[in-house]
Amino acid sequence: MSDYIVEMKHITKRFPGIVANDDVSIGIKKGEIFALLGENGAGKSTLMSMLSGLYEPDEGDIYIRGEKVQISSPNHAANLNIGMVHQHFKLVPDYTITENIILGVEPISKFVGLFPYVDIRNANRKIEELSKNFGLEVDPTKKIADLTVSMQQRVEILKVLYREAEILIFDEPTAVLTPQEIDFLLGIIEGLRNSGKTIILITHKLEEIKKVADRCAVLNKGKLVDVLDVKTTSVNHMAQLMVGREVSFKSEKVPAQFKEEILKVEHLTVKNEDGFEIVKDVSFTIHSGEIFAIAGVADNGQVEIADAIAGLTKVSGGKIFLEGKDITNNSIRKRTETGISYIPEDRQSFGLFLDFDLSTNLALKQYYKKPFSSRGILNKQEFEQFGHKLIDQFDIRSGQSIKTQVRSMSGGNQQKAIIAREIDLQSPLMIFVQPTRGVDIGAIENIHNMMIQQRDQGKAILLISLELDEIMNVADTIGVIYNGQLQKIASSESLTTNEVGEYMMGAKHE
Amino acid sequence: MSKNKMKKSLSYRLFWPIRNEKWQQITIPVASILISFIAAAIVILLLGKNPLQAFYNLFQGAGIFPKSSYAGYKSILTDFLSLLNAMTPLVFASLAVAVALRAGLFNIGVSGQMLVSGFLATIIVGYSGLDAIIAKPLVLLVGIVAGGLMGGLVGWLKYRFNIHEVVSTIMLNYIAQYVISFFIQMYYIDPISRQSKYISEAARLTLVNVEIANLKMNIPLGFILAIIIAIFIKFLMDKTVVGFEIKAVGSNRNAAKYTGINVGRNTVLAMIISGGLAGLAGVTYYLGYFSSIQPKVLSSIGFDSIAVALLGNSHPIGIIFSSFLVSIIDQGSTYMSSQAGIRQEIASVIIGLILLFSACGEYFKHKVSRLKDKEVDRKDSES
Repeated sequence: MSDYIVEMKHITKRFPGIVANDDVSIGIKKGEIFALLGENGAGKSTLMSMLSGLYEPDEGDIYIRGEKVQISSPNHAANLNIGMVHQHFKLVPDYTITENIILGVEPISKFVGLFPYVDIRNANRKIEELSKNFGLEVDPTKKIADLTVSMQQRVEILKVLYREAEILIFDEPTAVLTPQEIDFLLGIIEGLRNSGKTIILITHKLEEIKKVADRCAVLNKGKLVDVLDVKTTSVNHMAQLMVGREVSFKSEKVPAQFKEEILKVEHLTVKNEDGFEIVKDVSFTIHSGEIFAIAGVADNGQVEIADAIAGLTKVSGGKIFLEGKDITNNSIRKRTETGISYIPEDRQSFGLFLDFDLSTNLALKQYYKKPFSSRGILNKQEFEQFGHKLIDQFDIRSGQSIKTQVRSMSGGNQQKAIIAREIDLQSPLMIFVQPTRGVDIGAIENIHNMMIQQRDQGKAILLISLELDEIMNVADTIGVIYNGQLQKIASSESLTTNEVGEYMMGAKHE
Repeated sequence: MSKNKMKKSLSYRLFWPIRNEKWQQITIPVASILISFIAAAIVILLLGKNPLQAFYNLFQGAGIFPKSSYAGYKSILTDFLSLLNAMTPLVFASLAVAVALRAGLFNIGVSGQMLVSGFLATIIVGYSGLDAIIAKPLVLLVGIVAGGLMGGLVGWLKYRFNIHEVVSTIMLNYIAQYVISFFIQMYYIDPISRQSKYISEAARLTLVNVEIANLKMNIPLGFILAIIIAIFIKFLMDKTVVGFEIKAVGSNRNAAKYTGINVGRNTVLAMIISGGLAGLAGVTYYLGYFSSIQPKVLSSIGFDSIAVALLGNSHPIGIIFSSFLVSIIDQGSTYMSSQAGIRQEIASVIIGLILLFSACGEYFKHKVSRLKDKEVDRKDSES
């Protein structure tokens, strides 16, 4: 029993319409990396939220260091040396690194032994020391707003270390990182373990688990499936347990049949708010029946290309043709009607209205047209019927069907809702930006199959992804972007993963 | 376990309507009002008076309960009509705030918009000598157009130059207040009352001293319009494409843009509607409840309406009720002070308390849901 630093026994947690955790029991040893594997909505985050004090379990007990505890708040969890590195960072952009880290636990000194003040200088020094100790070098006086995503994550990690966490929970830490950054982070996590910390890693990326984890618990639909020793278990077996069926990592697809040209982009240039050219003179074409993927490291202009085609960003040079029509200066709605479906990168702040219900979100691109409305009056019944139709057709799961507030749905099902809505538009061009980000393996496979199916039905598909595996798997043609310029356009058969990687890093030019 | 669930504690049953989310829209404001009346009762008790008596007087003065005696040509009906007369501009103003709030905009320029539309209607129609049948609709039209343009300007400034609406409406309030004051002082002043000259009876939206059944009544024509407009706004926001787009912009501007909704146009449109409603508040106030304009003074209605809209959950029908309540206290205060010997200012204190507690509605909601969670947890651990 004292073997385990954390024990969760027979934990059950229910939410309206759903059992998030059903009689889950796990034990975590001191000084190990324990991975929690499961699809979106499998209950990993809920389970860990109970450990970090965000929720209390409906049934079951939690033991920390052999003692039964009721963790009632994140502060209480911090007192038990439990810290969570959240997937969505909780930082104040206008504060410096130090200010963010000490927020809530400010070190108070007294000026002339009388007037209390926050001793920033001392805190700066302490944080610099801490960051060096764990290989997480940061400049403590920098503002969060000026940091990259991976640096912000370092701050989150430092925040829990500063609170002297012994048990660190990482919630999908690699979802927002580039491949290099992922390697670095995994190194850090291993380092933390080696210095005696206990790590809980929530993820659905099997390679990461294979790389660093010691043991791994698999959850499926709220139930614990198995606890595995990672070294002796194959990736395939883990995936199978997680999804509950066989998974193929390679999508089945018939050779592409290119037909007429659908999208033509000529010398596209896009400037950002500071007037800096973030997309430079990009030209390419996509045909009916073709999946054209843009590969590249994050922030090299690929998202801006998608936004420019969909009309969300202004074009400062060049032209965009859809089925021969110049759409360069059309409004967003005009483009949608001309024939563009767009699955945006940020589904929560662009793709959906989180406070609206599911049926409304599904009808978002058509609400103003017949039969959803006539003469400016909405037809609620039509919304509901349409909602039921798409929910059935695309197997969108939610607590209260069409009435569900989208905010309460899992990430994977939110994404399904967007894809369902966009496929239903039957647009000749479909743009997918990071369609599988933060989505579990089963759903990834599903999304890839849907893309290929749409291609086979004669759609032109533009895929923008940071996952090279995904691109190599589904693309027919690959364009590699670096620094806002397309370095190389070639068919996917003619390129190896390594070559694409080299173009991505700007190491190789045409 | 099932037995435990059956046996609900008294507090559980007592608070059930507040817990139930469906009813919260109504129960939370009602609870706010009850709490504020209790707080007001304590204040009155501290003054050594009987709070029940005071509240009763308040309702008597507003024409809800009968007074013990009435002057000639007066009755409970005349009091009640005065109440509706005073309430009319408040309904319009609160609707103006609510529509803007739905679009994610904070229109605190209702007072300025009221003044501009009231002033323009006064000089264009009020002094024109037109027949009532033309003058009255024309007053409404001028009010809507003037207010709408003024609101639209705010929306346009936000959309075109990204000027925050709170800043621009405050500034426009000052501009309206002083520019109009200048014109009134220079051209339209009544030397005796030191206000603008009275408008013609034909242009006035309240029929004054109408004699029916030996009573002299003020009949507020605008009140009927206010009810119709409130229902129309509810329909507009809930059932139409226009309302949907405004709510979408208010809920998430990014997603609205992505959807293809013209964010700029809807921002301007929402402010035009809001301003138009403020314009109606202006004409029913300056050309209905009053018939002249006091220079250099902004009506407090524009600011009270923010809280009244919140008390009514930004819901048009809710706003009718919240305006009704606030107007009762406002109107009844004179009678209360004369009958119960409580200073009129106490009425303002009560209104202030109601508005304060209504602003805390979100906090109550939060507290209640926390309580609920805790109770569920406890029950589960008991079983």
